[in-house]
Amino acid sequence: MNLVILFVQVWGGIGAVVALVFLIFGISRIDEDARGALSFRPLLIPGILIIWPLVIWRWWQLTGTTTTSVTRSAPRESHAIVAVVLAVIVSATLFTTEAIRQEWPSHLAPIRLDQAQ
Amino acid sequence: MSVKYVPVQWGRFKVIYDVIAITMIMGFLWIFVNVTPGILNHDPAINPQIRNMRAFGSCAFFLLTAILMIGPLARLDDRFLPLLYNRRHLGVLTGFVALSHASFVVRWYFVFSPTDRYEALLGTNTAYDQILGFPFEAFGIFALLCLLVLATTSHDFWLKFLTPRIWKDLHYLIYPAYAAVIAHIGLGALQSTENPTFGVIVFLCASLVIILHLAAARKEHRTADAGVSSEEYASWRKLFRADTVKEGFARVARLSNGERIAVFRHGNRLSAIANACAHQNGPLGEGRIADCIVTCPWHGFQYDVTTGQSPAPFTEKIATYNLRLRDGYVEVDESPNPYGTVVTPLAIPTPSMS
Repeated sequence: MNLVILFVQVWGGIGAVVALVFLIFGISRIDEDARGALSFRPLLIPGILIIWPLVIWRWWQLTGTTTTSVTRSAPRESHAIVAVVLAVIVSATLFTTEAIRQEWPSHLAPIRLDQAQ
Repeated sequence: MSVKYVPVQWGRFKVIYDVIAITMIMGFLWIFVNVTPGILNHDPAINPQIRNMRAFGSCAFFLLTAILMIGPLARLDDRFLPLLYNRRHLGVLTGFVALSHASFVVRWYFVFSPTDRYEALLGTNTAYDQILGFPFEAFGIFALLCLLVLATTSHDFWLKFLTPRIWKDLHYLIYPAYAAVIAHIGLGALQSTENPTFGVIVFLCASLVIILHLAAARKEHRTADAGVSSEEYASWRKLFRADTVKEGFARVARLSNGERIAVFRHGNRLSAIANACAHQNGPLGEGRIADCIVTCPWHGFQYDVTTGQSPAPFTEKIATYNLRLRDGYVEVDESPNPYGTVVTPLAIPTPSMS
């Protein structure tokens, strides 16, 4: 479990460095709407801490260019599949958790073990 | 038309919406903590710390349920669309509430541990090989992580930076998050409580979410099927009756390639443009039109629906589409015109003419 916590700390540490460099130097070069806009940048820090690999990848992709909006309909093609999978998983989960539920003998009065001896 | 980023893009309606949402959240927490302990009949009895933890946990569950209901409701009935436009703010609030729930858990159940509290959280129960007694905390941690990803990437910047495709795919995490929350509750709270009330409520909420999503998916599927390619020209697609488009509004149609177009009615004329705004892909078809100009409901970008161009001095352009009328039905040429192409509006017969 120490490893999990160490992993989270290292991940967050790298994310903090990425956030610092990206928000100070990178963001203005790749997004014209961010030029001169400073007050919103701290709000991006938590997101960068979590998904910094994705940030680096997009940053690298956009370097040398400026983001231009790509007109595209929202991708909802997979919604039907997601809806069915969600229905199956949630139903199965609720059924399973109810099926394994155990009742304790709540009608019995508790006994102190040291007195029972 | 460049819009500088601001921390939070509040309009009058969004402020009202946020005030109502925060008031309802605080009201729920206050009622849960102060009014209902007797009604809830927590069994076995609990202390104030656990009650706080349950209050925030329950609140996060109901918020997540509400968020998941907004999308399908908006697709089933246009009157829910205003909720859809403000869903991101609700998502951020949900992230905060869920984080508070986790904080109460760590600061009560694991605060007396001789080891680090987070180590204790991860290492106290490791029975991952059985269902009964499975460490339900793992599902909670996973769901919290998903909610934090969604909340922290909700700013407009992320949509543009990541591209709508990646952003939307990322935000599909809300579905595994909800499934994880159900497992977290089912293997956690519902295993220990004698009172069936919360279990019934969870079942009803989950059922509602499932039914709404399946109904919306079914409607989407049927709507998509409604458009069929005309036999004469493969690129022409039959949409809907011309008289079903309300004056000043649009009907959104889906093309065979999955793209959406918005067919607007202005007077007795119809014009079709791409449904996605050039700024951040806002749903133009849900905007109102005045003097041939539609205003995007997200950030107020405007376009002339007959040209696909923003009014001067702005330079944004989107695709226009050619329309024709056959037997009272609107048909669209699925091949988009180059961005900003002028298209003569399609005249439709008035009731007196037909």
